[in-house]
Amino acid sequence: MNKSRLALVLAAVAVMLLLLTAWMALYYAPIPQTSVKSADKVLSSIEGRGIRVAGFVCARLPEPHPVVETLGATVFSIADFSDFRNYQDAVTDGRLNDTWWTVRPLDVLVRSMNEEVSSKVILGANLSVFGTVSSLKLGPNSNVTGLSLEVSGSDDVLMGTSASQFDILTAPVAQKIFYFHMPSAWVSYVAFFTTLLASALYIKTRNQKYDRWASSAAELGVLFATIAIATGPIWAKEEWGVYWRWNDSKLVTTFILWLVYIGYLMLRASVVDQGTRARVSAVYGIIGFITVPMSLLSARVAPLLGSSHPVVIATQGGGLSPGAGMTIGVAVIAFTLLYITMLIRRVEIAEAEEELEELKRSIGGEES
Amino acid sequence: MSNSFTALYIAYSIVWVGVFAYLVYMHIRQNAVDREIRTLKEVVGKHGQ
Repeated sequence: MNKSRLALVLAAVAVMLLLLTAWMALYYAPIPQTSVKSADKVLSSIEGRGIRVAGFVCARLPEPHPVVETLGATVFSIADFSDFRNYQDAVTDGRLNDTWWTVRPLDVLVRSMNEEVSSKVILGANLSVFGTVSSLKLGPNSNVTGLSLEVSGSDDVLMGTSASQFDILTAPVAQKIFYFHMPSAWVSYVAFFTTLLASALYIKTRNQKYDRWASSAAELGVLFATIAIATGPIWAKEEWGVYWRWNDSKLVTTFILWLVYIGYLMLRASVVDQGTRARVSAVYGIIGFITVPMSLLSARVAPLLGSSHPVVIATQGGGLSPGAGMTIGVAVIAFTLLYITMLIRRVEIAEAEEELEELKRSIGGEES
Repeated sequence: MSNSFTALYIAYSIVWVGVFAYLVYMHIRQNAVDREIRTLKEVVGKHGQ
């Protein structure tokens, strides 16, 4: 089987799997209800002796943290008020009353490390948390990033068996974007790894074919990274209420990654001489790869910025439900096949372009 | 956005349009290169004769 035929067969399989993914995402994968998340996404403000909390997920710290105290209980965490600004903006813009902020009451139990404090939190119609925990009091200059919180009310969507076993999604339907967003991001990482590999092989062997593979993979990587970057903010707007967060390490490092590989393509387009182009872009392709682990690991290892971006493959707890796991598995296979198919085709085009360049050079040489 | 389904469909559209637009772009690019190669070869052939 020659390359073109192989690409055609792979393309057919990939498209079928993509269609299957779309169907599974819409009809098979369950709307997510529970998972484990880290403490973040707090919208809070001091209100008298209490604290208003909105849109957070919970976390339990190993030890009580003294910066915040409750009436009768010691609580936990440090803080980031970036979300508080979003909350204030929402209040200012009058968005608290639209769908994202629509509220309905639900009884919850707020639990500190040592004691339990009953309170009342109101959940949004589309599941954002919004309400007042009257028993908490902020210390001076301290903020809250998370509360250990257990839903005990009767709600058809949110039920947590323990404080660390549920998560609040403000937009569970939009979460299905994930089934295309994550595989796109995954394939872009694979593509950039291909560029790294091919660039290294080019440096070692000076064989032009590796340059073709490197450039083709980079172009596809940019395509899939663009898809991931375009779909992510649509989900973020539904889930977080904002399209983008410049203080989120995952988002920023992925954006840098995207810019770096756009730069790679621009570099290639600006160098005329084939040998120089291959050499320079191979070096760039190797150095530029540093942005891939930065982006890949930023949601897990981000001491400076922190990230609210979900971590899909958790080392402990959480994870995906079987239906969601199956769907994402099919999606990853579909996108990977699609990438391989497109890469084969793109390399063929690169070969044809080089043949054309060669032909033009030979004609030019004969004429001169 | 008015509701999450709108967001979902917009995101899905971006994926499909993005992928198929690139496939079409590759097809056009391949055709253009092939055509140019063919033309040049014809020119070279005539020149040779």
